[in-house]
Amino acid sequence: MADKNENRISFFSSDTFKGLLPFVGLIVILVVMYYLTDGRIMQPKRLRLLLSQVYYPMIVAVGVFFVMTLGSIDFTEGSTLGVASIVISVLSFYSIPLAVIGGIVTGALIGAVNGFFHVKFKLQSFIVTICTMYLFRGVCAYLTTETAIPAGKALKALDSDNLKIAITLTVLIVAYFLFRFTRVGHDVKAIGSGETAARFSGVHTDRVKFLVFVAAGALTGLAAFVNVLKVGSITATAGNQLETQILVSLVLGGLPITGGAKVRFSNIIVGTLMYTILNNGLVMLGLESAAQQLIKGIVFLIFVALTIDRKALKVIK
Amino acid sequence: MNSENILLKAEGIDKHFGITHAVDHVSLNISRGEIRALIGENGSGKSTFCQMLCGIYKKDSGTFTLDGQVMNVKNQVEANNMGVSIIVQEMGTLSGLSVAENIFLGHENPFMHRGIKNTRAMIHEAQRLLDEYGFKNIRAGSMIDNYKFEDRKLVEIVKATYMKPKILIVDETTTALSQHGRRELYNIMNAVRDDGRSVIFISHDLGEVLEHCDTISILRDGEYIDTVNASDVNEDDLKRLMVGRDIGSAYYRTDYGREISSEVVMSVRDVSVPGQIENISFDLHRGEILGFGGLSECGMHEVGKAVFGASWDRKGNVTLSYGVEINSIPQAIYHSVAYASKDRDNESIILNESIRNNIVLPSLNNLANKHILSRRKLNRFAKEFADKMQTKMQGIHQFVSDLSGGNKQKVVLARWLGKGSDILVLDSPTRGIDIKVKQAIYALMSELIAQGKSIIMISEEIPELLGMSDRILIMKDGKINGEFMRSESLNEEDLIAKMV
Repeated sequence: MADKNENRISFFSSDTFKGLLPFVGLIVILVVMYYLTDGRIMQPKRLRLLLSQVYYPMIVAVGVFFVMTLGSIDFTEGSTLGVASIVISVLSFYSIPLAVIGGIVTGALIGAVNGFFHVKFKLQSFIVTICTMYLFRGVCAYLTTETAIPAGKALKALDSDNLKIAITLTVLIVAYFLFRFTRVGHDVKAIGSGETAARFSGVHTDRVKFLVFVAAGALTGLAAFVNVLKVGSITATAGNQLETQILVSLVLGGLPITGGAKVRFSNIIVGTLMYTILNNGLVMLGLESAAQQLIKGIVFLIFVALTIDRKALKVIK
Repeated sequence: MNSENILLKAEGIDKHFGITHAVDHVSLNISRGEIRALIGENGSGKSTFCQMLCGIYKKDSGTFTLDGQVMNVKNQVEANNMGVSIIVQEMGTLSGLSVAENIFLGHENPFMHRGIKNTRAMIHEAQRLLDEYGFKNIRAGSMIDNYKFEDRKLVEIVKATYMKPKILIVDETTTALSQHGRRELYNIMNAVRDDGRSVIFISHDLGEVLEHCDTISILRDGEYIDTVNASDVNEDDLKRLMVGRDIGSAYYRTDYGREISSEVVMSVRDVSVPGQIENISFDLHRGEILGFGGLSECGMHEVGKAVFGASWDRKGNVTLSYGVEINSIPQAIYHSVAYASKDRDNESIILNESIRNNIVLPSLNNLANKHILSRRKLNRFAKEFADKMQTKMQGIHQFVSDLSGGNKQKVVLARWLGKGSDILVLDSPTRGIDIKVKQAIYALMSELIAQGKSIIMISEEIPELLGMSDRILIMKDGKINGEFMRSESLNEEDLIAKMV
């Protein structure tokens, strides 16, 4: 019975091909950009710039990766980043550790609000996080209407690639460990593949879902710290459109939009790199922003069409 | 059989799925006015054969000739129009539509005037049909979602038969129906036959096949084996024809008069779930199989969920021998209670996951060493119990969605064997499963009670209840309505009398 399906699947719709596609895509985009920019994109100075744009989206993407593995979605990263950045900037005048903790707690609280409404009221995460996105975007705009909020000098002085690399790597390693070597990964994937069956297998589905949203918020709070290190002052547009950037990155990285069993941790890294290279390349080519958006849209569409798992297709929770 | 009397002639019907030869040049004739059973194990090609007949699959070669006309249908609606309709095993109605819209799905034209649907006329006609069939409690104008599984099945029966098909295919529909629903279906099948039309009936329940069919065709591994008269054979003959060898009589348990331990492992007191069950109390003893029977809406399925801590709004107590109360699923699993649901694909297993991850999921806490899981250990664990259940698979990383019903159930049992659960709640454990796997499951159940484990078996199959249980509780309208001890003299009528 089993080989019935096995033999009907062509190579181009097989899981092997879908698993390889993001890596192939990364190389293709890199090679194309290398030629189009006459190799400028690989100059050390450019690479450093590129890297500096990778840190905080990658930290955020780790949290969203877990949310999307559940089969849910989170649209609040941008506004969370904005609000957490404000908290960090204000607290940075008193104490740096306090600022870091403040940022993480702010993010976690916003995540808890999302998780609470999603789990307790059984609202789809799609709806909940769109509402809270507007809510916290509003809070962010309200707090920054008078003037941009600067961060303390002590904080600015900390800015270094080493620190940012250390934070990003730590997050990636801890998350990878949890995902691969503890029951966290199993629980999250099980909920994404079949929530009812997961519940009947003894998974604390509500608790896991709530905690994943809290963790995603906390990671965005941590990412806000990395962001403040870099930018130094917060305006109303901080973190604007971050949510779509993360979503696009993860999908480019091959994350099935339905979540579940077929997600790979590499989706985070490959996707974030791909997005950043594509973005930088388009800027370096001197395309106007309208054309950049157009091209990004087309690349995104092609990837979704190629990677989506039609068998598991259902409404996002 | 003279040629005028032949309604359907199938010649050289052939179908490959990849390298699997699903249907291998099958030829058979069906006469006017007969109920023909099509039997065979899972994967024998009976459903595929019928799905080609009604246009769901395309055949590789061969011809169907219906009433002298060669059929070349591309989809189900075309097959309907030629006079072939089908009632399927699983849900065949569409949510979000009304009962009337479901009945006339694909045949809305008589109610359309210049692209606008005359809803009133459609509902009126649908209600007339429902009344005619005697399903007066179903209202044509209400949404299909307001009805339970069984009523939806009845709507499907109306949908498949109202236009008087020449051939009605009933594909394992009865497993979804209670005794009452089955009787309605048998009446309709008889009416089709008496009208000079024909029925193709697919079922795993050989008793049912022998009782309600005139002739029986057997398929094995996609090949046509034989057609026999129902009056000339018995169940053992049919099993032999299906499997190709003697299956033996060790099917159900053969022991009687076995002493049940007085040790109570689980005591259930005054358990109620609003609208489902009321004040259910019973004790489960060590090493017994406690059967639960009744009509499908009697609440017995909810009892299984309630003792597993899975009911949403449960009152009353479920207590284990050492005083622990079960109030949630994780608690139940931790305290060695296992549950296999009737709704296997949604509640028992995660379809879009690998066999390995399904088997290890309830046991992750036991397999972890200081919260760390070793892949090698998980693989070994999954392989051990999948092999113990003799699961037919390409490997433990294969997805469960690729497996047949019987093998899915083996995965479900493998995970609980792996967990080492002492109390197993099995709801409809052999639903839609072929003889060989059924036999394996019954053998496993006997083995488990011999080890001192206890089983609650909820079943809509009366022979299964009689054949396997040490004690049987019959439910009616959410309450326990009778208790029977295992005995050779106990028969189906005794149980049915308490069900209705």
